[in-house]
Amino acid sequence: MAEPMPDLPETTLDAPLLPDGLARIATQGTPCPTPVFRQSHLHRLADRWTHLLFLACTLLVVLLIGGILYFLAARGAGAFFPLAGNTDKVVTFREVFLSTNWDPGDGHFGIVPFIAGTLAVTGLALLVAAPTGVLTGVFIAKVAPPWMRNVMRQVMDLLVGIPSVVYGIFGLTIILPMVGHAWLADAPAAGFAVSAAILAVMIVPTVVSLSTDAFESLPSSLDEGSQALGSTRWQAIWRVLIPAARPRLLTATVLGLGRAIGEAMAVQMVIGNNPQWMLLMRQATDQTPVLRFLFTPAATLTTELVQELPNTASGSTWNNVLFAMGLLLYLMTMLLILATRRLGRQEHA
Amino acid sequence: MLSPQTPETKPVKLSVRNLDFRYGEKKVLDGLSMDIHAERVTAIIGPSGCGKSTFLKCFNRIHEVSSAVQVSGQMAMDGVDIYRGGIDQVDLRRRVGMVFQKPNPFPKSIYENVAFGPRLFGVRDRATLDGLVEDALRKSALWDEVKDRLKESATGMSGGQQQRLCIARALAVNPEVLLMDEPCSALDPIATAKIEDLIGELKENLTIVIVTHNMQQAARVSDYTAFFWLGKLIEMDLTERIFTTPRERMTEDYITGRFG
Amino acid sequence: MTSRVPAFKVRATARVADRAMHLALWLIALTFVAVLIGFVGGILKEGWSELNLGFLTRMPEALDAGGGIKPELFNSLYLVALSLALAMPIGLGAGIYMAEYAGQGRALRFFRLCVETLAATPSIVLALFGMILLVQMLGWSFSIRSGAVTLALLNIPVITRVTEESLRGVPRELLEASYGLGATKLQTILKVALPYAATGILTGVVLTAGRAFGESAILVFTAGTNVSQHFPDFRLSVPGETLSVHLWYVTSDGTLPDATQIAAGTAAVMILVLLALNLLVRLLDRAIRRRTR
Ligand SMILES: Nc1ncnc2c1ncn2[C@@H]1O[C@H](COP(=O)(O)OP(=O)(O)OP(=O)(O)O)[C@@H](O)[C@H]1O
Ligand SMILES: [Mg+2]
Repeated sequence: MAEPMPDLPETTLDAPLLPDGLARIATQGTPCPTPVFRQSHLHRLADRWTHLLFLACTLLVVLLIGGILYFLAARGAGAFFPLAGNTDKVVTFREVFLSTNWDPGDGHFGIVPFIAGTLAVTGLALLVAAPTGVLTGVFIAKVAPPWMRNVMRQVMDLLVGIPSVVYGIFGLTIILPMVGHAWLADAPAAGFAVSAAILAVMIVPTVVSLSTDAFESLPSSLDEGSQALGSTRWQAIWRVLIPAARPRLLTATVLGLGRAIGEAMAVQMVIGNNPQWMLLMRQATDQTPVLRFLFTPAATLTTELVQELPNTASGSTWNNVLFAMGLLLYLMTMLLILATRRLGRQEHA
Repeated sequence: MLSPQTPETKPVKLSVRNLDFRYGEKKVLDGLSMDIHAERVTAIIGPSGCGKSTFLKCFNRIHEVSSAVQVSGQMAMDGVDIYRGGIDQVDLRRRVGMVFQKPNPFPKSIYENVAFGPRLFGVRDRATLDGLVEDALRKSALWDEVKDRLKESATGMSGGQQQRLCIARALAVNPEVLLMDEPCSALDPIATAKIEDLIGELKENLTIVIVTHNMQQAARVSDYTAFFWLGKLIEMDLTERIFTTPRERMTEDYITGRFG
Repeated sequence: MTSRVPAFKVRATARVADRAMHLALWLIALTFVAVLIGFVGGILKEGWSELNLGFLTRMPEALDAGGGIKPELFNSLYLVALSLALAMPIGLGAGIYMAEYAGQGRALRFFRLCVETLAATPSIVLALFGMILLVQMLGWSFSIRSGAVTLALLNIPVITRVTEESLRGVPRELLEASYGLGATKLQTILKVALPYAATGILTGVVLTAGRAFGESAILVFTAGTNVSQHFPDFRLSVPGETLSVHLWYVTSDGTLPDATQIAAGTAAVMILVLLALNLLVRLLDRAIRRRTR
């Protein structure tokens, strides 16, 4: 017998199935020609246990998600509760989340200006990036000739690869002076408008690449069907393709939003870093509130962290509130990721 | 080739009893029983989707690496149930080689493709490997065509050569059974003829089970033929009889192309 | 009997709209091309005068004009290498697990969610985490090692994802061929799947390297804004300001008289490095496509 299977009782089989009139000899193995191969013991052991190593790597990622949450929450909580290691007074949630007054020297820790700043700058950026990104996606997937498709892919790859500080320095040394001279006489140009413009360029590749995928994954029968009915190409895009790709387009936008919310350095370099921007807006009396809003030096959650964290003592209320802001950012991204999950389910439904 | 007049002298290599197979809820094989003899070629025929490939994969349990399946019934090689606990699937697959519908050489050199198997089992010595590679390539009638370009990439070969390379690769680990799932369906007639000749030579010391959609091919190469329909074995017999005097009406209809 | 279906004609407005949108799409696309060209051109133009060997090989100055970026360039490369060395095994391991062992069920969905979350976590949040855990609690202070470990957190999810995707792209037939010869799962992964996926994974790693190279928020709070006085200093415990941090720091600190020039020069150097990496990615991409053809 060739290569015996591990010791096992012989199987009891029913009588052999015989085509009519054929004699059979008993079940028996044929001699096996040399050489006989066997997996070495080591290979078997490795095969049995290495997946635990891979699992450990995966669990590390899970652990990191929890770890980040834990450490940020532990430090952030110090602002509100008298925990060990606290060297400073505590503040109430009200004083932090509902107040627009940020004046840490004076004991005021209202972070509304930063939340509002983050919403304003990301909202403005999205206003530009979402429609242009989706349209560029349509362009790449359905309209552009192949060579232009390649060019656009390259352009997006390069845009996404440029570091935030380089975007920042570009805004600071090239855009700000330009805008300042042209539109605003001598007023400083720093603020939401320029930050949002730069942010829009930074997140557009994310929106473009995901919406290109969305349009490319639609069956080509969809727009062919529509155009066969005599719709123009644009009607096919607007009435058939965009609605069909909607969940994934929204996902693209949400992920773009996530990137925008988290961006720190580029915005910090051009936004002007004024925590009191809401106060300034309120006191302003000129005729053009929109222009004022767009060009008032302001601040966001991320920029304020970059700006102030290095200057605060660990354990102080100030420092703890900053960590609470970090926690808020983290929770926002988690929420956005969960939102993309929802959208993903919608797509399959 | 075996005929009704000469008695079968070869032992049963593989036996199947009451085999049921499910992909999740879907029953794909239903109560199959058959014996497959050593050193014979057994052809499996039947309409698309009737479970031929699935049946073949049951012999080396290769479906278990990717999907959740349920198998019940018995399947034995040399009288030992290959679905018993304690059976080593890896060892089983070494003994039961497989050639697939589409040639699937690794994107490596011709030499490395054939040496892949022996290397798995710890053969490192260059001379031994060279010998094994040459042996396998000779057995698969490829040696003369490739002996001067062993270092070249296998993906640059013709389809027929690739398929013979895959056979060589399977032979290099010295299997006892060779499963072939429509091995010629992607090949031209000349390459097909070469593979058919090869099958005739290989059965000298191998048990071969081949799935084919080509009736002439089944008639040419096989000793036994089994006809499957919707996951059931309708009839199995000597090839000669299946193609001349089948017992079942359905078999006859299928072979003569009245349905399928 | 006459047909009740009117004779439809494509309305003129629809035709005009179609033309207009066609034009608009081209305009938007060309705007992005122009933005990129203006951007890269602007950065290179501003930094051109600084692009010389002296700038690359001088030590930076604290208060006077004329400083170089030698240690920052070194630190950038050193930190990218270290963080990749940390992230590669973990990302590969996790990617392999998710592609080959995690099945298709709830566990896989959960792991994916975690990887996505980590990938979407703002770098400033990772910076805070590294600052609390490494800089403060472990007492590593602002150092190369704090920076490298925190930077690895940025790389891990990217490498994990690209590994998983590349492994899923390995043709099933190749895996079956390997199993069919009696290979174990581990052997199949190591000898067939990973070699096939290698080019794809490598592309991901190069992209990751580019991202790590440009990262600043994380490093400001973990590797610090100072450099060692020795060169080259491979010690892990010394502060390690990188190019990107340097660029940010000189502009926001404002003590250097030639801060603008130094920032512009640094930005130009970074752009050139990234263009080179981009070229590398394209070559790798071409290699992948050649193989699949
Ligand atoms: N991985 C799988 N999951 C679920 N169902 C499957 C799977 N693979 C095959 N099936 C189903 O099992 C049935 C039998 O498939 P199988 O591939 O064995 O047929 P076949 O006889 O080989 O067909 P063909 O001649 O086309 O190759 C088919 O109905 C198929 O849909
Ligand atoms: Mg089949």
